[in-house]
Amino acid sequence: MHLLVQSIGFGVAAGAVLALGAVGFTLQFGISNVLNISYGALMSVGAFLGLFMLGLGWNIWLVMVIAGLAVGACSVVLNRGLITPLVRKGLAPFGLVIVTVSAGIVLEYVIVAVAGPATQTYGNRSGATLNFLGWTLTTAQVVIFAIAVVLMLGLHLLLTQTQLGRAMRATSANRTLARSCGIATSRISDIAWFMSGTFCGMAGIALAITIESFDFTLGSIFLIPMIAAAVLGGVGQPYGAMIGGLVVGVASSVSSAYWDPAYQSVVAFGIIIVMLLVRPRGLFGSTTATRKLLA
Amino acid sequence: MRKALVLPLVGVMAVVAGCGSSAPSGKAIKPGPINIGVIAPFSGPAAEFGTLISAPCYAASDLINQAGGVLGHNMQCTPVDDTGDPADAVPNVTRAIATISNFDLAVGLETNTAATTVPLVNRAQINMVTTNGLTNYDTTTDKYFWRLTPADDANGAAMVQYAYNKGYKRIAVVFENNSTDTGNTPGIEKAAAKLGVKLVTNTTIPADASSYSSVASSVISLHPQAIIFDADPQSTATFLSNYSQLTGGKLLPMITATDSLTPDWYNSVSAAVGTGFIFNKVDLVGSYFSTSTQAFYTYRNALLANPKTHALADTLATVGPPASIYDGINIMALAMLMAKSADPSVYNAYVNDVVTPKAGAVVVDNFAAGKKALSEGKKIQYVGVLGAVTFNRYHNFAGAFAAARFTGSTTSVNAAIMPGSEISKLLG
Repeated sequence: MHLLVQSIGFGVAAGAVLALGAVGFTLQFGISNVLNISYGALMSVGAFLGLFMLGLGWNIWLVMVIAGLAVGACSVVLNRGLITPLVRKGLAPFGLVIVTVSAGIVLEYVIVAVAGPATQTYGNRSGATLNFLGWTLTTAQVVIFAIAVVLMLGLHLLLTQTQLGRAMRATSANRTLARSCGIATSRISDIAWFMSGTFCGMAGIALAITIESFDFTLGSIFLIPMIAAAVLGGVGQPYGAMIGGLVVGVASSVSSAYWDPAYQSVVAFGIIIVMLLVRPRGLFGSTTATRKLLA
Repeated sequence: MRKALVLPLVGVMAVVAGCGSSAPSGKAIKPGPINIGVIAPFSGPAAEFGTLISAPCYAASDLINQAGGVLGHNMQCTPVDDTGDPADAVPNVTRAIATISNFDLAVGLETNTAATTVPLVNRAQINMVTTNGLTNYDTTTDKYFWRLTPADDANGAAMVQYAYNKGYKRIAVVFENNSTDTGNTPGIEKAAAKLGVKLVTNTTIPADASSYSSVASSVISLHPQAIIFDADPQSTATFLSNYSQLTGGKLLPMITATDSLTPDWYNSVSAAVGTGFIFNKVDLVGSYFSTSTQAFYTYRNALLANPKTHALADTLATVGPPASIYDGINIMALAMLMAKSADPSVYNAYVNDVVTPKAGAVVVDNFAAGKKALSEGKKIQYVGVLGAVTFNRYHNFAGAFAAARFTGSTTSVNAAIMPGSEISKLLG
């Protein structure tokens, strides 16, 4: 029983990092409808920007915010410079996916060109170990979890309580109609890509803190679990992505405590398949609207 | 009409036959250097391995070329990027075989891609000196396959032998689930059974997970005295950090493979749990060779002399697989001299002659000495960095094993030596 409780705690800590990334991914997809595979490489960019800033002696949590914002700006450039022009030229969705795959590879090798292929580390940033409710977590894990929760609440308030949020929801539901109602959909799209990139960069830093060492493939490795979390929650559903991340984290952790750890991903993805068979639109999707919150 | 056709044909055949009898046997060497294809990852996450595995090639080729080369040709190391991924390795190696001139020797062919690259190279009739540890090559019939490093199961058995010698009777075994690391497992299980060592857990972990806390927690609950562990630097750092977090900083003695002696591993692990753990609790098990022979000094000096390998010299000089490539290239180059041909289909038959002890043979520990002796009409036996080599009928050689301790970020010193015969008994 103790092992089960502990495993759930480990899973929540790991899931919080996945959730942070998954929320950003699903937010951008919900607004732009582009499956952005370069999201993983942007995460790596965030981690390496963090490495550079830590080298300047900055505080790790300040670095997380600033690097996150910087990746947000990169994300806007990617959208404005590459995705939007190709959408205007009528490139099919599958073509856009390939473009984002290509952009991701280019970004990764830009990192290699600048920082080299070797493994990098922030040093041990875990902080003190905390024990409560049978869980054993580090200070860093608790802070990352808190950041994820705060960002989720902030996102909720933004989407439901502000004019900008309503404009984002309208753009997500029907871009043409939103534009004809006077909403600057291009600006809304930029904001969505910026917010998504910021979540992405922060997730990259959170991952780098959690796993202790990383290289330029960091984001690519964790992209699939993040996409899985987003799909599980219901594509375009920020709350769903958060819950999806936690489900993937906890399922992986508990399964590796009781079964061969080599199969932890198999268990997590197996659960996702079963859940999607039962609820094809994800945990938070509905039959009438796939984007319950954004739409 | 028929007679008119036949007579010129006979004439051409006679000319061809005449040429064949006066030229060296096998295909002629084209102008330019004899290329040694270094088949290894030079890009992607494992790119560091390509750099490490190229160094002994540069050391050997530098010394060979200083001695006047082979049959009037210099030897040249040519990187062939397998990226560490079989999907990339197949087209890249195929292209290299088709396009590289005088591609008469291949080295590297590491474990992750060996299952695809070894057959390609063997089919192309190119001699190879491989560092892969796959156990299915223990009894290979591939004619052009040569290996001077132990298979992974032997290394696994050596890890258990070392743990037993240290007095550990309860051991946890945790490996990354890849062919390189799990190749140790059969040897570990056999050795543990013979030595009466209890494996409290024998499990694998996926690479690059965001957390191994559950696995660490399971291991802790089983109270092992030591852990046999091998994974990539990133996963190792994450696992150890998670383990340390659960035990208040207490870590088990760790026995791992010498492939952990890399800057990446050191940097990642030291950042996660500190250098004290690395220097005091980590033992690196791998193939052993003496570092006080003339052959070793020649090898190390060659590494130091080349600007490309100078910085790596101390790291590489004491590790088995790079030394096996250095010795392997010398052996193959001397075989070319004995065969008077760089054609692998010809000189392959002379490889055993280079290393086999025989009456009246001059023992040589470097290429230059071997070339000189051969030019004087003498028989030779090459005894290089790895010592005397005896290939079995499957072209495999596994010598003794050693456990080493880190002495710096990329250097180690041997702490114990285990005879190869002792390890073989555990696997028998």
